[in-house]
Amino acid sequence: MRFIFARPFYGGDLVQQMDAIGVQSLGIVLLTGFFTGMVLALQSAVQLQTFGASMYMGRLVSASMIRELGPVLAGLMVAGRVGSGIAAQLGSMKVTEQIDALNTLGTDPIKKLVTPRVLASLIMLPTLTIINDFVGIVGGNLIAQFYLDVPTSLYWRTVWEQIASDGFLFRFIPNDFVQGLTKPLVFGAVISITACFFGLNTSGGTEGVGVSTTRTVVTSSILILVLDYFLTQLLLSLLVAP
Amino acid sequence: MSDRDRGAPADPNASTDPDTSADPVDVAEGRERRADDIIRRRQEERVRTAIKDELSKDDTGDERPRPEDPGPLRGALIELERVDLAFDRPILEDVSFAAFPGETLVIVGESGTGKSTTLKLILRLLQPDNGRVYVKGKDIAPLSFTEALDVRQQMGMVFQSAALFDSMTVFENVAYPLREHTDLSDDEIEARVKEKLEFVDLAPDEVIEKLPAELSGGMKKRVGIARGMANNAEIMLYDEPTSGLDPLTTGTITRLIMKLQRELNVTSIVVSHDIRSAFRMATHIALLADRTIRFFGTPEEMAASDDRYIRDFLGGF
Repeated sequence: MRFIFARPFYGGDLVQQMDAIGVQSLGIVLLTGFFTGMVLALQSAVQLQTFGASMYMGRLVSASMIRELGPVLAGLMVAGRVGSGIAAQLGSMKVTEQIDALNTLGTDPIKKLVTPRVLASLIMLPTLTIINDFVGIVGGNLIAQFYLDVPTSLYWRTVWEQIASDGFLFRFIPNDFVQGLTKPLVFGAVISITACFFGLNTSGGTEGVGVSTTRTVVTSSILILVLDYFLTQLLLSLLVAP
Repeated sequence: MSDRDRGAPADPNASTDPDTSADPVDVAEGRERRADDIIRRRQEERVRTAIKDELSKDDTGDERPRPEDPGPLRGALIELERVDLAFDRPILEDVSFAAFPGETLVIVGESGTGKSTTLKLILRLLQPDNGRVYVKGKDIAPLSFTEALDVRQQMGMVFQSAALFDSMTVFENVAYPLREHTDLSDDEIEARVKEKLEFVDLAPDEVIEKLPAELSGGMKKRVGIARGMANNAEIMLYDEPTSGLDPLTTGTITRLIMKLQRELNVTSIVVSHDIRSAFRMATHIALLADRTIRFFGTPEEMAASDDRYIRDFLGGF
């Protein structure tokens, strides 16, 4: 927190990192979300048809995407794509003495390199998750419409019913949204801090860069999955109406 | 100012083995014995000095600086005073030397003797376990991280690998310290960048838009020097500035360091393996061996030394 508010501010670096972390991850997140939503709908279709509950497709897909799959999949995609990139970049800077050069030029490497990356992750991961959720639900809509003959209007109405059914925080923020956006915020911090930590502690030349990159992806992926469980437990106990 | 004041051994030749006609079979053993003798003598001398210092303490509470903590040398720009540093093993022990304005001090020594570590101490990227590091007469050990960044701004550092920011162009690299620490306008920054590039014999219009990956080793070093001096630093530190360069480029870099001293009166501390360049550019040479300063003096004094280790190190140069 001290680094976020202390001068100097590297606004240009923040925008650059938001582009690298967010905008450039858009393609992979769109693809992941869209196909996950479609697969989810496809797998559920048979069971729902058996029980004559096809109309609930919207509820099922939206609940799964917003609460769990959206944040976790976006987190894992960003960990693989962005976390590895950050670790490799900072690791290369470390082994080629560029971090020492920053220090000798009177720049704090944490403020210059770490703060913009962490901030950009905190901003962009929830944004990517919202997009992921939306395209996932759209993917589910396509399957519902063409496979189960569920009208689009009914599908979206059940989506909203699901969102509204879990109650609201402060009377207007759906609890599903709180749950679905708290997680990517934590995951964003986990990915960027892990990547920066391993990147800045790289040693052993180019081989060390590879090691740091692998460690970043493995550690942040595991942390995402483990923290997801504990966050779900915590948020359910806090948010679900008695 | 005598060399003793500046931290050199009392007599660089004191460790000379009089028995230079030893049987070749015994050379290795003899060398080890001599090294042990030197270390023992040095330890004894340190104990004697410590006892003498203890006895000379004023019990009446006089606030004179203690003999073992004499404070900064008057006029010295950079000074290391009895510095000890160890990581998993001792790196530096009782290292003292000083550099005065306009001097070029070259630190030479075998690989792994702590030469680059010495530069990191001056930059306060490391802190000594014991002893003091003075920059412009100010002990930099107690400084906070932010204060240390301010001290570093007064120095320019040229790294062995040049350490140019590979995501930035040559212009952005040289302009970096100006953008970071000055309020100069874009036009002033551009003028300063071009001036510094011309000083290091690079044609600004040809290189300014290039990325470091597009430059040769010598050009990278020169851009590194231009970046180091962009803030008009009074002190320049070089870590192996000529390593990995061909003889002609080595000569160019050496001349450049001499030009900085001659034309801008910049004080330089150069860590180098290159004895030929060291003798050309140095006003003083410090030889690091066995974790301490084995020799401190002018190139001429070093060349004239009959210390066996120094002669071996110079390798007939």
